[in-house]
Formats: sequence, structure tokens, C-alpha cells
Amino acid sequence: MTSHTIAHPALASARSGRGAGAIVRFALEHYLWLPLGGLIGLIWANTAAESYFGFAHQLSFPVNEIGMTLFFALITQEIVEEMMPHGALHTWRRWMLPLVAAAGGAAGSALVYLTYVTLKYEPILNQGWLVASSFDIAFAYFIVKSIFKRHPAISFLLVMAVVTNVVGTIVVGLRYQPVTIRPGGTVLMAAALGLAMVLRRFKVHRFWPYMLACGPLSWWALYLDGFHPALALVPIVPFLPHQARSVEGFEDTPDAPPSSPRHFEHKWNYAVQAVLFGFGLVNAGVLLHRYGTGTWAVLAAALAGRPVGILAAVGVALWLGMRLPPRLYWRDLTVIALASSSGFTFALFAAVALYPAGPILAELTLGAVLSGVGVIAAFVAARVLRVGRYAVKHPQSIR
Amino acid sequence: MRGRLFLLGIAILASGALGSPRAQTVALGRADSLKFAVIGDNGTGGRPQFEVGQQMTALRATFPFEFVLMMGDNLYGTQDFVTKFERPYQALLSAGVKFYAAIGNHDDAQLQVRYPAFNMNGARYYSFVKRHVRFVVADTNFLDQVQLAWLENTLRSATEQWTIVFFHHPLYSNGDRHGSNVELRVRLEPLLVAHGVDVVMSGHDHIYERIAPQKGITYFVIGSSGQLRRGGLTPSQITAAGFADDQAFTVMEIAGPDLTFQTLSRTGRIVDSGVIRSRRTS
Repeated sequence: MTSHTIAHPALASARSGRGAGAIVRFALEHYLWLPLGGLIGLIWANTAAESYFGFAHQLSFPVNEIGMTLFFALITQEIVEEMMPHGALHTWRRWMLPLVAAAGGAAGSALVYLTYVTLKYEPILNQGWLVASSFDIAFAYFIVKSIFKRHPAISFLLVMAVVTNVVGTIVVGLRYQPVTIRPGGTVLMAAALGLAMVLRRFKVHRFWPYMLACGPLSWWALYLDGFHPALALVPIVPFLPHQARSVEGFEDTPDAPPSSPRHFEHKWNYAVQAVLFGFGLVNAGVLLHRYGTGTWAVLAAALAGRPVGILAAVGVALWLGMRLPPRLYWRDLTVIALASSSGFTFALFAAVALYPAGPILAELTLGAVLSGVGVIAAFVAARVLRVGRYAVKHPQSIR
Repeated sequence: MRGRLFLLGIAILASGALGSPRAQTVALGRADSLKFAVIGDNGTGGRPQFEVGQQMTALRATFPFEFVLMMGDNLYGTQDFVTKFERPYQALLSAGVKFYAAIGNHDDAQLQVRYPAFNMNGARYYSFVKRHVRFVVADTNFLDQVQLAWLENTLRSATEQWTIVFFHHPLYSNGDRHGSNVELRVRLEPLLVAHGVDVVMSGHDHIYERIAPQKGITYFVIGSSGQLRRGGLTPSQITAAGFADDQAFTVMEIAGPDLTFQTLSRTGRIVDSGVIRSRRTS
């Protein structure tokens, strides 16, 4: 997820000031609004369950089905830019090994999850493998970034995260409810895309017309046809004018003029963080005693299945003749694999999309929240293996 | 210190009384009443399940119940209908007693909804009428908007004197392992209250507990007819009665505005009994 240096009023005042402003800035820059919302939800649910679940029930639709459109728009924007010249996804050579790693991670987590659930004979949990296979781009990015600073590990992880979550989101979007293509939905989607094309043809650089005119049409089209409507802006965002970006992708960028697409990304980042705060608040509140088979299955899949799957897939790929990028070693890969074990945002999104509120969703939610311990595992591994900021003086000798 | 010990003693005595209730036994066996039994979390295939089955068969000699309601977790582990259902209840099945099942978290819904002896007719949630009683069976594993809409329509259109709803996960429970499911309660309770439901029964916690009426509805947790979490009940102020010392099942009869119930242990001891009046009468 993007970390920005734009002079947002809150940030600008925070930089010069102290106290609450500085805390807001720190939380924005470190993507802490989502875990903060989740933490508040968790405490609220476990201290006043009835009022929390009443509140969450009321807000779940506007947050999950409408607000999250902004989150997926931002993710789409990142992917589109990564596919442009100098982006991490621009050539197949750059994304081939991370793609293999992503496939291995997804397969490893799904295998561990389904094995666990099958051994426990709880077939209702079977489709939760999608929850176990998701991993949080924002969490993983900030872990790797804070361990490696500037390193090919970062773009490797980003490509892996993007591939995993694009596939996961498409599958979740299709399984949200029975998909039925209706004439009304098709007409609305055609209108949304046609309007976006017209806006682009007339060189409209402002993002608001795309969002406010095309977005609702697309949202209603997906909703009518049974796709997850939170993906409404995904087909619209590619029509926005885009700029090529650096290889490292999600890194800080200079301030941009208000009309540019980069400005769109900055502006949306704040809105998305607000939405993610609401998302954490509404979805992460789960009673801690509500653990069950789904909880342990998600945890085992995230903390063991995915890292092992990633490393095994890369091992096979190297054996078949592929090569690791320069300056990326097995120790780095181990840390990357562990950094990808936090499911959080995407896992919660998948869980909420696949299961209605109730005991099964609660088990999976708890597993998704607890998978945040992957952060600790990644830092411990980095320290033990002496990679990134914990490296000894000659890191190139570590293989 | 002495005061605290005294309070502790009172608490222990109170909890003991709930564990082995000495409530006055209410007699069963009115003529022309609707008689049925209730079991939950039973499908272990273990000896206690067989012994509960034998106890039910013995009771039926004096209290000829027509059918049995199952609160879910009908088959644990491998979905072996013979070992975990047909053999333990062979005598009842042979006598023509019908079973109506709800789906629990350990059940394979795709298999069980099509199993003829569970009378689910291919549906995860369904409804049926016995004389003047409407029974509504929900699937709380997957309570989506479609099911909620169905539930609301079914409850709204119920014209019978009694409405009894059952599903696997309890809205109120003082079981140590799971407890009340508040996530489900905020969705289901408004419907149940608005449409005059009289009794709600569940399993999931491997205990027996009767909850004092909440917003006019009496709740039962009957989840120890095969599984048992011995001592797994910490009574609260809403607990009307409880039993977690042995496996248990419940029998009920409805005659006019009165529902009389008895809960019996695996050994045949009556551990709870009482009478509930229909809300539509009052």
C-alpha cells in the first residue's frame, strides 16, 4: 500500500506540530488505521458484545460493500501502474518467479487449511481456503520495507502479493453469491465503461468524474449480477490516465498537481485509510472465546502452509532453471515468506464475503486477526538469519 | 475473609443445586397431547449415545412420543449413518418414530439433507406442522439474507398456537466452551420476538441448560445427548436450570396452551421439568 509525502492539511500541520497531529501522521504513514480500527472492534466486542454486534450489523453493508470500493480502486491503481514501463509487473521476466512463489504460497496455505478442516470433519469450513490463502499487502509491505529498506525483496513481495490477491479477489467476487448475468446489469456495466471511455477520450484528468459518474453504474451492475460490488471501481480505474513508476512501486513519491492521477492516489489514500479503519472496526471485532477449527486452520495455513509453499515453489523453480533476482538470497526469501503470513485485510474481506455473520465467520475472523503474529515471526527470522537491517557488514556473503 | 468464605460456600451450594436440580417433577402423559423428544450433539457412535437411545426407548413405553428433534452435530467425524444414527436409535426407528434434524458445524449438510431418516427433504432449513404446533428449523452455520428472509416469512405466516424454533448454535448459553452467540442473537432475536415464538432450542454446548424467559421466549440448550462437557456449565442469573454431570435428553408434550417438559439423564434420572404457557394464549 502507498505511503505518501503529499502535503495533506492534517499531515502538514502535524509535521510542524506535535501531539495529536503527529500521531495522526504517524498512523497514516504507517498504515495503522486498519489495525487501530480492528483493535477497537476487538476490545468493544469483548466488553460489550451486544452493542458491538448491533453496531457492526448496521454498518457492515455500507462499509464492506460500498466503502471498500475505494480500497480496491487504490489496489487496482497500484497494479495498473506496476504494469507500466519500469513497474514491477512490466515484463514477464520480473514477475515470473514471484508468480511461482505466489502460486506456491496459495497452494501451500490451501493444502494445509483443507487438510486441517478435513481431519476435523467440518465441511462447512471448506470454502474458507480462500480466507487462508489471502495475505495482506499493506502488512507485508511495511514489514519487508522496515527490514530491508531498499532491496529487491520489496518488489518481489509486491508482485507476489498483487498476484495472490488479484486471483483471490476475483474468486471471492465470483463466490460472493450466485452469479447471474442479467440484461440490466450488462447494460449498466456497458454504460459505466462507455462513459469512462468518453471521459478518457476527452482527456479528463480529474478522478472524481470517473468515480462519481461511472462508479455507481458499475456498482449497481455488479450488485444486480451477484458479483461483489466492492469491486465496482476495478474496471473503471484502468481508464484513468496513468504515469509510469519506479521499480519499487509503493515507495514515496513527490507531491503532485491536483489534476494528476498521482494526486488521485494521494487523495484516495486518506479516504481508503478512513474506510479501512471502519473495515477493521466493523469486521475484526470477534469474541476471543469464539475460536474453533476455522481459527486454527487459518493460522496453520498462514504461518506454516504459505511460507513453506512459497519456499518450496521457489526451490522447484530454481531446480528447473529459473534464477533468483540479484541480491536476493534464501535467507531473504525466508523473511519474505514469513512476512506474507498476515492475512488481515484481504483475509477479513474474503471471510465476510464468503460467510454470513455467525459462528463460522467468527472462527475465521479470529484466525485472520491472529495471523498478524506473522509480523513477529518475520522480524524474529530477520534477526536470527541476519538479513536486511540485521545483516552483518558483508550481507552478500550470506547465501 | 470469613464473609468471603461464606459467600463462596453459598455460590458452591447454588451451583450444586443447578448441577443436580431438585425441582419438583412435573408429570407427563396427558391424553391427546403432542409428544416428542429432543436430542442434541448426539452423533458420536459411542456407548453413551447408545445408552441415551436405550433410555429413550424405555421411556417411550410409558410416554409414546411421536418424533424426535435433533439439534445438530448429528454425526461427528465420518458421516456414518449406520453406526452413529441407525444403531443407537434402532428401536425407535423400528417403531416408526420420525426424526427431524438441524445441521450442526460437524455435519456434512450435502449428505444429511438428503438422508431420508432426517426428514429434511433436501433443505438446510425447513418448517413443518404437527397439529397446532409450527416447528421451524434454521441452519445457523450459514444464516445469510436469503435464509433470514425465508425465516421472517415463515414466522409471519405461522397461524398455529405454538411456534417452536430450533437450530444448532445457542443464542443464550452459559456453557463454558461456547456460550451465547451474540452475533446470531442480534439478527435472530428481533424476528423471534416480533413473531411470537414460544420456545427456541439449540445444542453446540455439550451441556443441558434451560434459560429463564428472555423477552418472552424460553431457551433450551440440549447438547449433551452423545457428547458431554462434564461440569462445563457456569450458571448465571439467566440460568433457570442446568445439568452437566451426564448425558441427557428432553421430552416434551403440548396440550392446548401448555408445554410440559422433562429432561432425563442417561441413567433415567429426571434433572429438570416444568411447564411453559404459549405466548399466544397469554
